[in-house]
Amino acid sequence: MSIFKDLMWFFKLEKRNYLTGIFLLIIVSLINLIPPYIVGLFVDEIKVGTLTILKVIQYVGILILVGIFLYTFRYIWRLKIFGSAVKLSYTLRNRLYQHFTQLSPQFYHKRRIGDLMAHSTNDIQAIEGTAGEGVLTLVDSIAMGTLVILTMAITISWKLTLITLIPLPFMVWLTHYYGNLIHDRFFLAQDAFSRLNEKVQENIAGVRVIKAFGQEKEEIEEFKVQSADTVEKNIAVARVDALFDPTIQFIVGISFFLAISFGSYFVFQERLTIGQLTSFTLYLGHLIWPMLAFGWLFNIVERGRASYDRVVALLAVQPEINDKPNAKQIKPSGEINFNIHQFFYPETEIPTLKQLHFKLKQGETLGIVGKTGSGKTTLIRLLLREFDITDGDITIGNESIYNYKLTSLRSAIGYVPQDHFLFSASIAENIAFAKPNATVDEVEAAAKTAAIHKDILRFEKQYETIVGERGVTLSGGQKQRISIARALLMDSEILILDDALSAVDAKTEERIQKALKENRKDKTTIISSHRLSAIQHADLIIVLEDGNIIESGTHKSLMKDDGWYKTMYQRQQLESQIEEGGEENE
Amino acid sequence: MSNVENQEIISKDKIFRRLLSYTKPHIKPLAIAFLVLLLATAADVVGPILIKTFIDDYLTPRVFDWNSITILAVSYLLLHFISVSFNFYQLLSFQRIALWIVHKLRVDIFSKVQYMGLNFFDNTPGGSLVSRITNDTEAIKDLYVSVLSTFVQNIVFLIGIIIGMFILDPQLAFYYLIFIPIIFLIMKVYRHFSSKIFHVTRKKISQLNAKLNESLQGMSIIQAMNQEERQKGEFNKINLALKNSQIKQIKINSLLVRPAVDLIYILALSMILSFFGIRSFQSPIEIGVLYAYINYLDRFFEPVNMMMFRLSQFQQAIVAAERVFGILDDQREAPTKIGTQNPVIDEGLIEFDHVTFSYDGKTEVLKNISFTARPGETVALVGHTGSGKSSIINLLLRFYPIKEGEIRIDGVPIEEYDNEELRKKIGLVLQDPFLFVGDVAKNIRLHNQQISVDQIKEAAEFVQADQFIKKLPGQYDEPVVERGATFSSGQRQLISFARTMAIQPKILVLDEATASIDTETEDAIQIALEKMRKGRTTIAIAHRLSTIQDADRILVLHHGEIVEEGTHHQLLAKGGLYHKMYLIQQGGLSLEKEINS
Repeated sequence: MSIFKDLMWFFKLEKRNYLTGIFLLIIVSLINLIPPYIVGLFVDEIKVGTLTILKVIQYVGILILVGIFLYTFRYIWRLKIFGSAVKLSYTLRNRLYQHFTQLSPQFYHKRRIGDLMAHSTNDIQAIEGTAGEGVLTLVDSIAMGTLVILTMAITISWKLTLITLIPLPFMVWLTHYYGNLIHDRFFLAQDAFSRLNEKVQENIAGVRVIKAFGQEKEEIEEFKVQSADTVEKNIAVARVDALFDPTIQFIVGISFFLAISFGSYFVFQERLTIGQLTSFTLYLGHLIWPMLAFGWLFNIVERGRASYDRVVALLAVQPEINDKPNAKQIKPSGEINFNIHQFFYPETEIPTLKQLHFKLKQGETLGIVGKTGSGKTTLIRLLLREFDITDGDITIGNESIYNYKLTSLRSAIGYVPQDHFLFSASIAENIAFAKPNATVDEVEAAAKTAAIHKDILRFEKQYETIVGERGVTLSGGQKQRISIARALLMDSEILILDDALSAVDAKTEERIQKALKENRKDKTTIISSHRLSAIQHADLIIVLEDGNIIESGTHKSLMKDDGWYKTMYQRQQLESQIEEGGEENE
Repeated sequence: MSNVENQEIISKDKIFRRLLSYTKPHIKPLAIAFLVLLLATAADVVGPILIKTFIDDYLTPRVFDWNSITILAVSYLLLHFISVSFNFYQLLSFQRIALWIVHKLRVDIFSKVQYMGLNFFDNTPGGSLVSRITNDTEAIKDLYVSVLSTFVQNIVFLIGIIIGMFILDPQLAFYYLIFIPIIFLIMKVYRHFSSKIFHVTRKKISQLNAKLNESLQGMSIIQAMNQEERQKGEFNKINLALKNSQIKQIKINSLLVRPAVDLIYILALSMILSFFGIRSFQSPIEIGVLYAYINYLDRFFEPVNMMMFRLSQFQQAIVAAERVFGILDDQREAPTKIGTQNPVIDEGLIEFDHVTFSYDGKTEVLKNISFTARPGETVALVGHTGSGKSSIINLLLRFYPIKEGEIRIDGVPIEEYDNEELRKKIGLVLQDPFLFVGDVAKNIRLHNQQISVDQIKEAAEFVQADQFIKKLPGQYDEPVVERGATFSSGQRQLISFARTMAIQPKILVLDEATASIDTETEDAIQIALEKMRKGRTTIAIAHRLSTIQDADRILVLHHGEIVEEGTHHQLLAKGGLYHKMYLIQQGGLSLEKEINS
């Protein structure tokens, strides 16, 4: 029941709705007491023979009136209570989403998207159940249950009431016990389902690999096992679930039997009329729902408990990257100074970056090259504050990046990541992602600089073409260039291209480079690339290996040293010649 | 209009029947469960009749026949106990059967998807496919649970009660039947109104999920571009629409379901009282019958409520089933083996014979392609994006059906090979190095348990992936997260290389695999590939000089056609592309040295 305490903040928020709803629920319970009473009177009058036509009309009239009142009140309390529950899940979904936007990349590395989705859908649904049906069953089982029992005891016979209520504590105990069982089993079943979901997600994403390696049969086998496991876990839930109703039926039946046996005994003794006995059993019938509600209450509450715990745990995850208490809300600008002694990724023991010290004046271009895994992307991530430096600092305009507000820092940086991700929206919306109110001209200008404008015009709907998961399929190069245009539109002080031209051919790359030079005068650009032609014009080039700088300088100075850079550059020159030669064949 | 509606009903009927056909393999346990349900219901319905007998024969006339009363009491308890235990059995059985049916359906659609052709995946968004396989089948599960459990049970129970009523008083029971069409009418009206609102709610839910899923995937972009507030706003908009639609649903439910059914209960009670009241003016009536009637009435409406409650789920399940069957009936299956022979790839002789191909049936991406790769030879495909290089590979791997021409391996058309044979003998290195959740070893081995740990290590050493794998804390057991996000793209590619080497294929297919590996890592791979190529026919989409110059034949593709063909030296001698390059290189590094090295 502690779940209701945990949800109190919401009940307080919706005080009026809940109070009205609960008040009407109690009124409904009261009115509900009338029909059995009338039936009792009716039976006795038939037995004694005092019934007249007028009385029949009177009784039936009252019944119909009761029916109409009940209908109206029931409609209203439903709207109040269930409507509020819907509001709760709305609130929680927004809160979760808000929280998701604050969590850092590290979190998304650790958690699977399918899992996070499950929390935002299934778990919230279970919590909604608690705030709706949970409240209803709580009020009904207490209010209606007490009222009916009191009526039976006061208007008919307290002795008979006590006798028939004997089996009740067993029901309380059993339903509680089942509730606990359900809690654990339901959790396992939900978990199995979300793992099944993940399995399918991965399978679909990796379909090409699966097909190329002929792994379809094995994938089906694995899926079968997992699906069967989900079934088993659900059957475990069903086993307890199937106990609920029969248990309640059994105990209600015993109560009924006691009522008839002892009630008849009282009738023989003339301490009770047969009409009263009829009323009594009808009241007993009215007790079934509060009892069921009591059983369900545990069921609903246990489910809600499990889900609420998961959601709260998720909401409690602290973002790893935070603003300092007195962080500055000004856009960083000026010289960038890298002073990294060491950087470790969380939970690793080998430093990814070591002793990186260099300066980049405002308006200069930095080129970062090196082997895969040498630390190029890590360096960029540190500047973006996706991770915080373990030992060392980066300053922009003589101010540590940790002294700026995260939003200020990020607004100064246009970022094109390695894995280009586009949203399910039009191309124009994607390009204007960072600046939704951008004009058409601005969007087109960015697209032109990124050398994607002509490609876009070739689509049937041009800039209104929908891309992303549910849109047209773009080539890797097209996606990269849209992603570049998106960053360019920010017109930011610093632009970072993280191997962002890998799927673009050499000629297009050259065009983009040229356009960038013209458009980004006096602005800082950081380019990491495997292709040296992408950074050869840079004011400073650093060559990374195992997190260390092994060579640095300009293209000219590096070409004079007989090092890694020179060897690579010459080799790549040769290769690009072939590509260009191929182009001339057009 | 009515015609359209009619057709809709017919198609819904078809879907429903098709869903029911899934119960066939479970017919025996279903029959048993049904029988048990009948017995449980019968035992339950007889109860009030026993009480009626007791009231009318013993209580009202004040007859104390203790023997008979004891027999009545004992049989009542016995029947009650039977009813309770049988009910437990049937509840569990129906649920169990429902779960296994959904399992079957899930495996069916998953299996079907596994054998779909790539053109299917090209045109179906991944997210919606996942939703078909898990969420839609989950909705169908609700249908089976509600149809099998709720509907069957409650209808049986209602029929049982009506029979009990007829036994007690046929005339009144006959009047009582009036309420059946009224209940059906309400159900129909409810279905009519709720289906529309329900549809909107479903749509909003799927929009909400899509938005959430996409936001989670692109969170780094959202954050890097400071768009958290705007995204929150967009999410809130969908969320709000969902909330409003759900509130509408609550309204329609409150108007037409439980409160309405309770109103009918009161009306039915009024009718029964009037009937007995009026009859009592003419002749004495049996109080026991009145009692039993009211008792039945009390229990008549809960099943009705339960069924109404499940109606919406029912509709949702039908829509879900329609989508699931849509995929099960999809014709775009992957090309499969033709013929009964079991040819084996021994040599690795590849022949393209006048192959023309189009993905969409409109634009030809390959035109009349013919070439031969003799066993052990390396053929390099050169050309820019869209020239048709990837299509050649897609066809060779039988990912798409060939429209015109023929591809032969060892003289046998590829259509005649077993899928298994093709996959075992052709090793593909994909452009996108996809990694699965698990560990490094699993990603190299995939599901092939016959690949030993030593073979895994051997393969990794071969492509020099072992160097970075050995540096990992868990080495080959190092966990791999979703899509291998903790590895760099180069590392991912190295693992995928090892994966290809582990099956020791006869034919090697490289699809731009070297494109995003940095040049130095590629050196290592070039050495490995050289070793691998020995004794293997290789088709490579190549950008790098080293790959190209080692090739026995180079095909230069342009707009789906082969425009130049020959060896490195032949092409140089021809004075075309290679010759030009040679001239350009005169001032720089000596190409001669490169070629001859």
